[in-house]
Formats: sequence, structure tokens, C-alpha cells
Amino acid sequence: MTDKALALTDAGVQDVMPARGRVVKSKWSRDLLTFLMVFGPGLIVMVADNDAGAVSTYSQAGAQYGTHLLWIVLILLPVTYFIQEMVVRLGIATGKGHAAMIYQRFGKWWGLFSLIDLEVVNFLTLVTEFAAIDLALNKLGVDPRYGVPLAAAGLVFIVLSGSYRRWERSVVFLCLLDFAWFAVAYRVGPPMQQIVKHSLVPTMPPGGITPDLMFLVIAIVGTTIAPWQLFFQQSCIADKRLRFADVKWARLDTFVGACITITAAACMMVVGTASHAHGFNFTDPAQMAMDIGTYAGPAVRNVLLLLMINAAVLGTTAISLSSAWAYGEVRGWPHSLQLPVRKAPGFYALYLLSVAAAAAIVLIPRAPLQLIILGVQVLAGVILPSAIIFLQLLLNDKELLGEYANKPWNNWVNWTIIVVLFILSLILAAQVTAPNLFPSAAGGPAT
Amino acid sequence: METTKNNNNHFLVVHPLDDLPEVKVDTEALGPMPMTRSVKVSLMSLRAYLILMVLLVVYHVVMLAR
Repeated sequence: MTDKALALTDAGVQDVMPARGRVVKSKWSRDLLTFLMVFGPGLIVMVADNDAGAVSTYSQAGAQYGTHLLWIVLILLPVTYFIQEMVVRLGIATGKGHAAMIYQRFGKWWGLFSLIDLEVVNFLTLVTEFAAIDLALNKLGVDPRYGVPLAAAGLVFIVLSGSYRRWERSVVFLCLLDFAWFAVAYRVGPPMQQIVKHSLVPTMPPGGITPDLMFLVIAIVGTTIAPWQLFFQQSCIADKRLRFADVKWARLDTFVGACITITAAACMMVVGTASHAHGFNFTDPAQMAMDIGTYAGPAVRNVLLLLMINAAVLGTTAISLSSAWAYGEVRGWPHSLQLPVRKAPGFYALYLLSVAAAAAIVLIPRAPLQLIILGVQVLAGVILPSAIIFLQLLLNDKELLGEYANKPWNNWVNWTIIVVLFILSLILAAQVTAPNLFPSAAGGPAT
Repeated sequence: METTKNNNNHFLVVHPLDDLPEVKVDTEALGPMPMTRSVKVSLMSLRAYLILMVLLVVYHVVMLAR
């Protein structure tokens, strides 16, 4: 790094300014380095989306329906990318978070509703993250009474450095650990031919469309595209101060993140399938790891349990930050990871409170974890269309975004996504209010 | 400025956090978004729908837990 960077004008290098930069000699190096500097928010938001709830939901889908639902996961790749790409444009054009935008453009009333939705679902999700940590620690032989507070302390520690870059590097490292899912799926999964076939050719599991299947499909959608992601990535982009010139690199970052997270999600489903194929009934992912360990060995078992903890840790830091950023934006508090604790006490206090309260609840006697996790994913799926409609309205606000506003094709794609999400939530409503309209599962789970 | 070329065919790449602040849209000066009556009614309906759906999900989860 040079100690001084150069202030640039149309005429070229003109003056010395108090900033830092790196000099490279080729366009290729320039592009690569720029991408690496911009890289982060897109990867983190996507990989953190494969949190404890996602591990649970995907592996349950695999355990109940085999690889039959892999094509749904693949369809969610462009969907999740298109939605987060809108957030990229909004964040870079405004330099502000999503909650601040809703507050400023739709007024306090709508801003408050969006904030309450976000904070409630986020907190419930955080409880599930710590519940998963508790379960995995138990199976690893670590007493959760010590392990859970230790995990919470670690989660607080990584944001307290007063440096966005340090936080980002730590979290990107945790994201890269997710590649271990590929190795585990390869080690225990069914034949590749079956995986490819069910990924590319839409098929229904034996038993057809049942309430349980629909509930699980909505949970898969809810866990793959969650409302907190919109708030998190926009705030993260604003905190990192991405520039207009960074839009294409931020898009690439988001796309790379989407590819990794969807492939990892498919691996989780494949691992769930493998567990069922060996005759195990799915109860939760920690038990699934123990079951798989009986035939794949203790190394695979421990890796699976650690991956579950890693997923929960990533989910917790991203979700807690999305809550703290959103609340800070709305209240007008200083809210940046670049600030030390003494300069943004409210922001850090809210992060700490979210993490500590969720960790404390988990240490209270056990609740039906798998049902809570699935319920929270469904709740997120139900709230999602509303969150995306606000996003869609903001992205069509030419006064706000100018050339970065949605093009007609963006609107077609996004309205299609919104309509599908509404249909899924209406099916859920019909199931709950008139369950007799839907046949029960006829056959057993597929493999 | 993210990157540019100087006179000696070199490129300077600056991390966003080290760069000079960029001028963004002044969102506070824009004020609230103008919304037609139909948009307001649609958003209200959306809110009512959302509350109903959340209650249904809670009910469904409680039933499953029994």
C-alpha cells in the first residue's frame, strides 16, 4: 500500500490526498484488485443465509423427499440474485440502509411497521441460531451452559474492533469454511447422476402435493430469500461506502455469493438424503450428523456438527447486524462498524442485546427446536412478499435512483417473483384454514 | 474515484473505505415519495394481509406442536 493516494481529476493524477491506494500496472490486475476490495457484502449476505435454520430446512427436505426438491433450490439461484442485485443498486446510489430508505420515502408509519417486522423475525431467527449451537455443542460433548455464552462472546468480539475491514475479513473466512459442505456431500451423497437429474428436471416426490410438502417448500423459499438480507446487504454496502463505479463488482460479488450458497444448500439436501437412505429418521441436523457418523466415521460427524455451528455463527452476526444497523438508521444513531464503541454506543448495545437475549433464551428448558426453526422460516417466507414490494417501489423511484432505477425487464422478473411468493403464502393460508382440501401424504418419504 | 490511469500507464486502486466520499442522492431533501390513493390502499391491504398471514402461521405452528 502506498501511504498517500492521488486525487484524480479528468486530467489525471493531480494532487496528493490523505488516502491510501495500491498502484498496479495492468488493467487485469486493476480489475482483480478492485473486485477483491469490493468483494464481501454479497458473499456474506448469501452464505450467512445458509444459517442454522437453512441447514435444518434443507436437510429435512432431503431426508423427507430425497433429491426431488433440488430443482426448486436451483430455481432460487436467479431469484435470490435478482432481489439482492436491486439492493446493491439502492445501497450504492443512496449510501444509506434499507430501513432509512423506507422511513424517508414512505414515512414514519410504514417505516415503523417494516422495522417491527424485521426486528421480530430477526430475534426469533436468532433464537433458532443459538438453539442450533446448543444442540451441536451437546452432540460434540461440550456443555452448552459454557459453550453458548462463549459463542455469544465470540460473536460480540468480532464486531468490537472498530474496523469494518477486520470484521469483514473474519466473516469472509467463516464463509469460506462452507466449502466443507461440498466435501461432505461428495463423501456421503447419492450418485451424481441422480443429483444432476433431480436438479435439472422438475419432479414431484412420491405422494404428490401434500400440506407437509407445501409447508416445506415455503420454508425453503423463506430460508433462501429472507427479509433480513435486504436490510443487511444495503446497510453493509453503505457502511463499506461502495461507490458508483463499484456497481458491476458488487453485482459480481452478489452473484458469486448466490452460486456458492445455492450449491451449499443443495449439498445440505444431499446430506439429508444420505441420512434417510441409511434408514435414519430425521429429527434435527445435529442428530442427523450423529446418524451419518455411525457409518461415515467420527470425522464426518464432527465436521457436520462444526458446520452447523459455523452456519449459526454466520447467521447470528449478519442478522444481529441487520437489526442494529436498521434500528440505528431509523433512530439517527451513529451506526457503523468503522466507529469505536464509545462513538456508537446504541448501535453496539443493540447488537449485544440481540445476541445476549437470544443466547439466554436458548439456555431455558428445551422447546421443539425443529418446529420452531421451520415455523420461523415460514414466517420469513410470509413476510417476504411485503418486503420485496417496498423494495420494488423504491427501485422504481426515478427521483431517488435516476439511471439506477429498474428497467422494464427488472420489473417483469420481480413482479413474477412477488406473484409466486404470494401464491405460496396463499396456499399456506388455504392449508391452515381448510386442511381437508389437501390430501395427506400417501407414500413414505422418497430417497 | 475507484481506479484510473496516470501518465505512466499505471493504475491506482483505492479501497472504498480509503477513498474520498462520493456525492450521493440527498434522500432527506427528497422527502416522502408521492403516492396515489390506490397505492396507499394497496399498501394498507398488504399490511392487513400480512397480519392475517402471521396469525395463521402462528396458529399452524401451535397446532403442529400439539
